[in-house]
Parts: sequence; C-alpha cells; structure tokens
Amino acid sequence: MITTHKLSKLYGRGLYALRDLTITVGKGEFVFLTGPSGAGKSTFLRLLLMKERPNEGEIVVNGHNLASLSRREIQEYRRGIGFVFQDFKLIQRRTVLENISFVSEVIGVSPAQQRRRAFQVLKWVGLQHRMNAYPQELSGGEQQRISIARALMNDPALLLADEPTGNLDPDLSLEIMNLFREINAGGTTVLIATHDRELIRLVGRRSVTLDSGRIVEMAEGMRA
Amino acid sequence: MRAIDYAFRQGWASLRRGGGSTVFAVIAIALAVSVLGGLLLVTWNMERLLARWTTSAEFSVFLRDDATSEQRGLIETLIDQSGAAAGREYISKEQALVRFRREFADLASTAAAVGDNPFPASLEVRVQRSAEADGRADALLRRVATLPGVADVRYDRAWLSKVGAGLDSLRRAGLVLALLMAVAAAVTVAAVVRLGLHARREEIEIMQLVGASIAFIRGPFVAEGLLQGGIGALAAVLLLWAGFAVSSASWGPQLAAALEGLDPQFLPARFCALLVAGGMAVGGAGGFAASRHAV
Repeated sequence: MITTHKLSKLYGRGLYALRDLTITVGKGEFVFLTGPSGAGKSTFLRLLLMKERPNEGEIVVNGHNLASLSRREIQEYRRGIGFVFQDFKLIQRRTVLENISFVSEVIGVSPAQQRRRAFQVLKWVGLQHRMNAYPQELSGGEQQRISIARALMNDPALLLADEPTGNLDPDLSLEIMNLFREINAGGTTVLIATHDRELIRLVGRRSVTLDSGRIVEMAEGMRA
Repeated sequence: MRAIDYAFRQGWASLRRGGGSTVFAVIAIALAVSVLGGLLLVTWNMERLLARWTTSAEFSVFLRDDATSEQRGLIETLIDQSGAAAGREYISKEQALVRFRREFADLASTAAAVGDNPFPASLEVRVQRSAEADGRADALLRRVATLPGVADVRYDRAWLSKVGAGLDSLRRAGLVLALLMAVAAAVTVAAVVRLGLHARREEIEIMQLVGASIAFIRGPFVAEGLLQGGIGALAAVLLLWAGFAVSSASWGPQLAAALEGLDPQFLPARFCALLVAGGMAVGGAGGFAASRHAV
C-alpha cells in the first residue's frame, strides 16, 4: 500500500525531519509509527497527505508515485485517504451531522448519499443520537469518534491518524484504538503515529520507531 | 452545479456571519455604484434633451429683400431635391415681425421705432437626422449660401456639439471616478472576504485534505463577493430611485422646465440591471482575489 525509498525531508539548513526513510506498509496492514517528539512521525504523515513535498526520495501509495501527481490527481488521491488528528479538527459552528457530511459534500456527492453514509458511520461509532449536537457539546472521546466517523465517510483505502489519543485518557484511548482495529478488520490500511508505547503494546501490531528522522527499530506486534 | 449551489449557500452564510465588516463592504460598493448611477441618471436625461434638440434641428435661409420669386423657387427646389430636408416653411417678412412681437413682447416697441419692417423673409428647413450625421446637411447649406437672393444662412450646430462634448466629458470623468471607487470597493470586499477566509482556515484545510476541487474551495469566497456586490449595487439603485422620486415630487415642474418640458425619467431597467451586474462583477473580483489565498 505504501512504499517509500530513501525519503528525506529537510527543514532549514541541515535540519532533517526525515532522512533516507525506506519503509513498506502492506495493503490491509495496521502499523504504528512511534518515537519521541520531533522524530519525524507527523512529517511522514504530512508527506503521505501531500501537505508537504519531500526533498529527496520517493513515495508510492497504492501504485501512485506521489511526486508525479497533477493537482487534479492529488485531489483524487486524497479522496482515498481518511485522516484523524489529535485536536480532532472539527468545525465548531457545524453540527456533528454537518461535520461528517461536509467531507462528502465538498467532493460533489449527492445530498441523499451524504445523509445515508453519514447515518451509517455515525451509527458505527455509536453517536447517531448526537448528530444534532455541536462539537463543543461533546466530550473529547466523542469528538474523536466523530473525527473517525468523518474519516470513514469516503470509504478510504488508507487511514492516517496523528496522535489520535493524545488528548484522551487511557480507557478512552483503548476504546478509540478498538475502533481503528475494527476499521482495519474491514480491509482499510491503518497507519497511526503515536508516542504511547503502552498503547502499542496493548493493541499489539507492527510498529516502526523513528528517531531524528531515521528508523531505529521495527517490531512485529503480538496481536491482542 | 453542486459546486455553485454549495458556493452560494456558504457565501450567503459567510455574508450573514460577517456582520459589521460585511456592511462596510456593501456600503463601499453602494457608494461606487451610486456615483456611477447618479451620473448616468443626469446624463441620461440630458441626452434625451439633446436628442430632442438634434431631431428638431433646422437651419434658416434668410432671403434678400430684393429676392425674386424665381430665385426663391430655385432655392426651394434645391432644398427639396437634396434629400437632406425633412420639411421646410417659408416665413415672410410680415410673419417674422409678428413672431418677433409675440416672442419678444418687451422689445416690440423697439421694432416699431425702426419704422420699416427690419426682418428678412426666410426659409426654415428641418434637417433629417441622417443628413446631419453624414454631412449632407452641411453640403446643402454651403450650396444654398451661394445662390442668388440669399442674404445669409444660419445653422447653429456648434453649441449642440459643445453640449454633446460636454456630456461626453462629464461621462468620462464620472466613469474614471466610478472606476477608482470600484477598485477601492473591490479591495474592501477582498479584505472583508479574507477575514472570513481566516476564520475558516481549518475548514479549508479539511476541504483540501479530503480532495475537494478548487471550485468547492474558492467558490464560496467568490460567491460572497458577488453577493456583497449585488446587494450593494441593488441598494444603490434603490437609493437613487428613492432620491429621484423625492426630487420629482418636490421639484417636478422646475426639473421639467430645465428639460424644456421633458418629464425627467429614471434610468431604464437595462441600465439598472447593468449597474447591479457591475456591482456584482466588482464584488466578485474582490472575492476572487481573496480566494486565491485559500489554496
């Protein structure tokens, strides 16, 4: 699903966020990206989302070499990716239902399809009863579940999450991880950046540890 | 179609959220359109007057007192065959005196003091508009002036040309002023739309990440500018109309007298539509300029 070869990202003079990163994530795999702050985890996700471009090396996702995509192809590529952030990035002035259907609306999906899919994913994360609430009326765990529901709206082949449990307590974190496991069980490739080693141990999936932009450890997880 | 629908829904919502800053942008557009509209209103009515003067244009051929009826017949034949005249009328010396006494009653005694009737007989020729435009009227005038029995010809078109040129200058100056104000209004709209854009940074980021097209991302900002421009221009047209209605009610007779009996008219619907479209274009340009910061 994801293959990178000698990928480097340079910020400023000689400051590498990623250096010669070669990594492969198979289709349908669940992989943790871990390491201390500044290790390059978020940078790697930003490169996958094409929010930034690498200075060297190449990234191939689902057969697409990201360096050669046109603007229109980038839009198409992004439609196949779901994303979840630590700070949820929910739009405060929109209701839960609007936050979720919005991502389908802006890629031109018909209103009927938007609603059908939004109800589906809301039901799946167990928050269909909160669809008319505003994000500020929800708990952190609920907000992150909404964020996950939003990521699933376009039925992505790849789900990226950047510290999705960073703002949650351990019990809620495990609950969120269970959602990710279920998503992965449905065939979606999941790549999660987290510094929470205990959570990685509990979930028991493959992890890649970065430090100063380089891979320092790769570990196969023991499925929990 | 969905992108347009989305753009206008979001643009309208943003417009309503904008509050004071939106009002400021709408006022800027309304001012620019008011200046242009007011100027159009004045020149439109002046042009109607000018058109009347032009269509009623005539020249006078003053005959010598000793002109024979054959000479007069020759002049009339030339005028009739020229194809430049829409009609003609012979005014005898006596008729000219009567007309003078009627139109200038205060000076009637002056004419009487002279003794003999001092007014010459004349032919008053109404000129066709096309003949005026293509120069046939001028050519006829030059030929008539050389005929025997003609004392003088009078064709006061220069002042009409001056009035026309004056109106053109007024229109050009107004257009420049309105253009400058339109640029200022577009800049104001752009600034206001950019404020909304900053407030929606996160939303735009999400749109980009989910693969929304440029039309979906930029559309709402362009639509917001279009709506601001349209509302501003519409307000300006309504204000102009209200001002015109009040002026007509208060000073109708004076205005009609100034226009030589023509009733003052408000701008035709097509001009109003053009003003609103112009306002929308200015607002849309401002919104488009701001939207370039979104992606």
